[in-house]
Amino acid sequence: MEHAWDFSAVFTNSYLLLIGLKNTIILAVVCLVLGLFFGLFVGAARYSTRIVFNWPATAFVEVFRNTPVLVQIMWFFFAFPIISPFDIDAFTAATLGLTLNTIAFSSEIYRAGIQSIHRGQWEAAKALGMNYTNQMRRIILPQAIRRMIPAFMNRAVELVKMTSLASVIAYGELMYQAKTISTIEFNPIEMYTSVALIFFVLIFPLTLFVQRLEIKSKGRG
Amino acid sequence: MVEILKIEGLNKSFGDLTVLDGIDLSVNKGETIVVIGASGSGKSTMLRCVNFMEIPSGGRITLNGSAIGTASNGSVTYSEKELTGLRARVGMVFQHFNLFPHMTVKQNVMEGPKTVLKCSAVECSRRADKYLEKVGLGWKADSFPSQLSGGQQQRVAIARALAMEPEIMLFDEATSALDPELVGEVLLTMKELADEGMTMLIVTHELGFAYTVADRVLFLANGKILEQGDPESVLINPQQDATKNFLRGHGSFRLPEPNLD
Amino acid sequence: MGYEWDFGVVLRDFDLLLWGLVNTLKVTGLSLLFGVPLGLFLALWRLYGGRLIRVPVGVLIEFLRTTPPIAQLFWFFFAMPILLGIEIDPFQASVLTFSLQSSAFFAEVFRGGIVSIDNGQWEAAKAIGMDRNASLRRIILPQAVKRMVPAFLERAIELMKTTTLVGTISYADLLYEANNIAQSTYRSLEVFSLAAGMYFVVIFACSMGVRRLERHLGRTGETTTG
Repeated sequence: MEHAWDFSAVFTNSYLLLIGLKNTIILAVVCLVLGLFFGLFVGAARYSTRIVFNWPATAFVEVFRNTPVLVQIMWFFFAFPIISPFDIDAFTAATLGLTLNTIAFSSEIYRAGIQSIHRGQWEAAKALGMNYTNQMRRIILPQAIRRMIPAFMNRAVELVKMTSLASVIAYGELMYQAKTISTIEFNPIEMYTSVALIFFVLIFPLTLFVQRLEIKSKGRG
Repeated sequence: MVEILKIEGLNKSFGDLTVLDGIDLSVNKGETIVVIGASGSGKSTMLRCVNFMEIPSGGRITLNGSAIGTASNGSVTYSEKELTGLRARVGMVFQHFNLFPHMTVKQNVMEGPKTVLKCSAVECSRRADKYLEKVGLGWKADSFPSQLSGGQQQRVAIARALAMEPEIMLFDEATSALDPELVGEVLLTMKELADEGMTMLIVTHELGFAYTVADRVLFLANGKILEQGDPESVLINPQQDATKNFLRGHGSFRLPEPNLD
Repeated sequence: MGYEWDFGVVLRDFDLLLWGLVNTLKVTGLSLLFGVPLGLFLALWRLYGGRLIRVPVGVLIEFLRTTPPIAQLFWFFFAMPILLGIEIDPFQASVLTFSLQSSAFFAEVFRGGIVSIDNGQWEAAKAIGMDRNASLRRIILPQAVKRMVPAFLERAIELMKTTTLVGTISYADLLYEANNIAQSTYRSLEVFSLAAGMYFVVIFACSMGVRRLERHLGRTGETTTG
């Protein structure tokens, strides 16, 4: 049986797909920005030797790294509203799940990056009379961040892929829009093929960029 | 005199860079030939062309009377199968030993006979014992390479090559990666091989060794054999200015007897 | 406002959750079984295939790595059966999707392991007359695989997490069962928390195992220069 490919319904519904694409990008950007920002603090807490900081941060990271992200999203959508003082819509639940997940993973990147800086740098900064915050902000982080960029980019790639999970709780991102259109137009082949291609076009340049960065930084040693 | 190896008009270039420029050489059975020259002179490449670790750009190599490759229209083509078979007949020892770290010393030596020559288990084991004994490391048979000193590792590498019972042995700067105090044991092993009549082609910087062990010394420069002859004439009374300059740069050249123990 | 936790109703259906977990492990295990060998072949084709093999295999690997797993799952479950005129059930679609998807990641692990082996090992194998197949089989892969073990296990754990998607095509894994129970008991908080806890126990145990193994391998790792 030969299937007659027909992409016309994909094009007539392209505005719906564009809305989905926009929502995908919004979700990814919001979670990335929040995740990288708070990840720094959790990473610093993980790096700290003081138990009050270290233990809660470690527990948080382990929980979010060792449970599936879809479980996290569904927990925030179906379970969390019961004890939450405020309403949780699909976007909020997805943002909570993906952001906390990104915090957990990026904190490990920060930690590894900070650990990779030679101890002499801390000592030199300390010898100049800098306090901890300044040592970190002026001396350690600027060196560490450069080494962390490929890992962060990889995280961003994973995050964009993960946003598609928000379709499960009916957040209108690309995957959800595709599912909806395909049930109306009865064109799952064209629809899911198109969506896979859109994601590929969205993400592949990022992965290429990461590969180039990694080769470059390896060359620099 | 039986001619084991014949090299005719050997050329090798990498892109625009010509590394070997018309090498002719004939090696007789039992002969020990030492190749010297500055880095970049092409001596390692010449060695690597003999067992086709590098494929020559031009020229012909003949091993034990049979020419390697198929000549047509002035160029020579080589089949992978033929080259694999050839390498089984030529032993090679590398600068960095390249022992297989996941195998014991004995397994390293047995690997070639077992996988390539398809020898029986008994024969593999017999060969391994014999050649490990020869390099004085029978007692290390069950160790892993990482537990050995550099000199011991290189002797195992020699035993690994010998276990193939090759027609000729190639040594590519076999002592260059070793700490000075470990060089002697490897050179001694090589000298014993030469004394037993093994045909050897050796690239080295150890001029003292060359002087005492070589039957013939070749001096290579810019991909050509500039000068050759017995050790006395090349190392003590060189004719070419390039050879004289090269030897002058090797102040540590100890004559006449190297420290071989 | 005090919420009254009640795990009683939920624990009555605990065996359903356990069966869900079994199904999760089943999909994960089968996908590994197919995905790892396929990954090896993809890696070898990508490294040593002729141009006509290398390029399409590279594109396939990148495509599988850079599109969301849920898109792949839907494609194999909703689109492919129509395209090929075949029937496929959720279980088959899940195993197919995750075998292919993980094989792309395993291919990259294999490739990374193979290229990390020092060129001298290839040369030494070549010098004693081994062809490429023998060199790979006897010399390169045994060393590469040892280095790759932690990366493999990490990938396997990732795979287990990703299989939570199979619920979206109604395959009864742990998360799917949890969702069902939540809808019938109105105890979403307890059910989803319990399910999350179960995932955590299994995955955390695996992660700890991998970390211990990594430390162990790091200690016994070869430090030879040869």
